[in-house]
Amino acid sequence: MTGGAPQVFAPWDDPKAKPLIEFRGVTKRFGDFTAVDAIDLNIYPREFFALLGPSGCGKTTLMRMLAGFETPTEGHILLDGKDLAAVPPNRRAVNMMFQSYALFPHLTVYDNIAFGLKRSDMPKSEIDGRVTEMLKLVQLGPFAKRKPHQISGGQRQRVALARALAKAPKLLLLDEPLAALDKKLRHDTQFELMDIQEKTGTTFVIVTHDQEEAMTVASRIAVMKDGRLLQVSTPPQIYENPNSAYVADFIGDVTIINGTAEPHPDGYAVHWAEGQAPLVVRSPLTLSSGQACHLAIRPEKVDVSKTRPEDDNVVKGEVIDIAYLGNLSTFHVRLPGGQMLKAQKFNTEHSARKEITWGDEIWLSWSDECAVLLDR
Amino acid sequence: MSDMTEDTDRLGALRRWALILVPYLWLLGLFLVPFIIVLKISVSDIALAIPPYAPTLDLSQGWQGLRDFLGKLDFENYIFLTQDDLYWKAYLSSLRIAVVATVLTLLVGFPVAHAMARAPEEWRPTLMMLVILPFWTSFLIRVYAWIGILSGEGYLNQFLMALGVIDSPLTILNTPVAVYIGIVYTYLPFMILPIYATLEKMDDSLIEAAEDLGCTRLQSFWLVTLPLARPGIIAGCFLVFIPTLGEFVIPSLLGGSNTLMVGKVLWDEFFQNRDWPVASAVAVILLLLIILPVVLFQRNQERQGEAGK
Ligand SMILES: Nc1ncnc2c1ncn2[C@@H]1O[C@H](COP(=O)(O)OP(=O)(O)OP(=O)(O)O)[C@@H](O)[C@H]1O
Ligand SMILES: [Mg+2]
Repeated sequence: MTGGAPQVFAPWDDPKAKPLIEFRGVTKRFGDFTAVDAIDLNIYPREFFALLGPSGCGKTTLMRMLAGFETPTEGHILLDGKDLAAVPPNRRAVNMMFQSYALFPHLTVYDNIAFGLKRSDMPKSEIDGRVTEMLKLVQLGPFAKRKPHQISGGQRQRVALARALAKAPKLLLLDEPLAALDKKLRHDTQFELMDIQEKTGTTFVIVTHDQEEAMTVASRIAVMKDGRLLQVSTPPQIYENPNSAYVADFIGDVTIINGTAEPHPDGYAVHWAEGQAPLVVRSPLTLSSGQACHLAIRPEKVDVSKTRPEDDNVVKGEVIDIAYLGNLSTFHVRLPGGQMLKAQKFNTEHSARKEITWGDEIWLSWSDECAVLLDR
Repeated sequence: MSDMTEDTDRLGALRRWALILVPYLWLLGLFLVPFIIVLKISVSDIALAIPPYAPTLDLSQGWQGLRDFLGKLDFENYIFLTQDDLYWKAYLSSLRIAVVATVLTLLVGFPVAHAMARAPEEWRPTLMMLVILPFWTSFLIRVYAWIGILSGEGYLNQFLMALGVIDSPLTILNTPVAVYIGIVYTYLPFMILPIYATLEKMDDSLIEAAEDLGCTRLQSFWLVTLPLARPGIIAGCFLVFIPTLGEFVIPSLLGGSNTLMVGKVLWDEFFQNRDWPVASAVAVILLLLIILPVVLFQRNQERQGEAGK
């Protein structure tokens, strides 16, 4: 990401690009429970694709179908244009890092990493070099001789990562690879992963609960819910232009205001409370007059001031709570009618926090480009 | 105050000692003491008396009595065992039968345990029950039942002849085959249960990981399932091998006179010949035969454990 690529990497916008993986109407049912529901999705070579969603939404199931441990109930999965249905897991150029790590307890760290290489047609003489390289990559050199039960949880996770990476697969599946690491190590490993991805050209699919992690590493993010894909977009797209209230709420902090839309030059005016001026917003959506809608507003887009400012949207409210986060503060403000709105302000001045306190009447403002209109 | 803490300390120490002591007392009373008695008889001489051996320790003679007693003990029974080839043939034959029967039991038991461990979770208690169920009938009755199945006009022969597979009855009873059948049947649960216990604990995702890394089904079985089941396999083999080595009932009921096993020799020495000293010597050697592999194995385990660190 840091390297100055001359061209933007966006094969999903290129109709000529050939996807590495294609999901075509893939459904997976367990009994009468639908874990994955009619998914259509293309993942392109060299992508770092993140799957995000609440627990039980089908992320692991989707990965397991790619690895070959589950067969789709309906639909097809194609790798490099070829249907994977008849290819058993051991013949797929796909490696998976398991959510539970699945390290072999009877083998040392070294032998765990070498396990896949010994099953491949790599000459014996090269295996040692490759394993050593992997050990160095995940900084586990001194632990090579230990068994999995003799190392820490985070170290085990890194062994699992090294083991999955060792065979240099076309596609690497990572099921919550970094969940057990502390924050600092997680950040380091995230950059390490991106680095590895760039160096090896491997396509990564990563499952994570941590939306910040997805934003950091991913070329595209898919938000899943109840077995369906709600939105698949780049991190900025998904943050700035969520396509539903659920996605807006899932990714980052947001205030959702319910109202009814009424056409307005360049967009819509949203009536949200009795006796209050409507909130104006630009939007490419076409809504009928009086249609129910949501307005999603990110807290950092809202300006906070003690005197009435000039802007497209200006409302007055009472400060109920202030969350001081160091570099910035989040204000929880009650608008007339009881609607709560979150606003963020950078603490640039030393005394910034003292200016506004609990119970103060303040003005909140934002431009018509800063909110997102969503239909209900 | 300090008295009280001292008291509770002492009580705690006492309790700890009692905890450690109980198993040792158990071993001492039920293993070591009988063993020493048998060992003593094995270095005595046969005598027409009750008990049928000499010398017996007469403590009323004091120090001199003990010296006389010790002076009369010798190893001639052990020397006798090496002179008559009946004995070492019986040991060898027992060893062979025990080894073969253990391997056969493993070959039958492992697939059963594996299938049980992979069966749907709600079936497993039932399957386990079925494995244990035969224990609810007396062991003797079950072995007798095999006579009815295996004999010349038994059910097996009747069944095979009715199917037209054979014309004349097979001779199974009173052959080593019948002994193997009897042993495998009797000791199968002792093989299945420990293997099942290790396989059931195993995480399925390990097999998936192995396949993900390029193993075929067979390779993942060989490289992952089998090594992880090793403790269960070893425990099961010991549980079958040890009692089989000294087995008496199965060879005498199913093996007839064709099967030479040390358990039977032991029985004959004790009850036919009433030669307690020789019988005791046979028993002591048998015990050594059993203990030796167990000790060697444990040593090996310990060494491996240390190497792991
Ligand atoms: N073998 C199975 N049999 C029945 N139901 C299953 C099976 N595997 C998964 N499910 C169900 O499918 C749904 C999706 O499971 P999955 O493991 O894909 O969730 P996930 O998104 O990975 O969740 P998490 O974030 O907690 O790991 C869950 O409701 C789960 O209970
Ligand atoms: Mg999961």
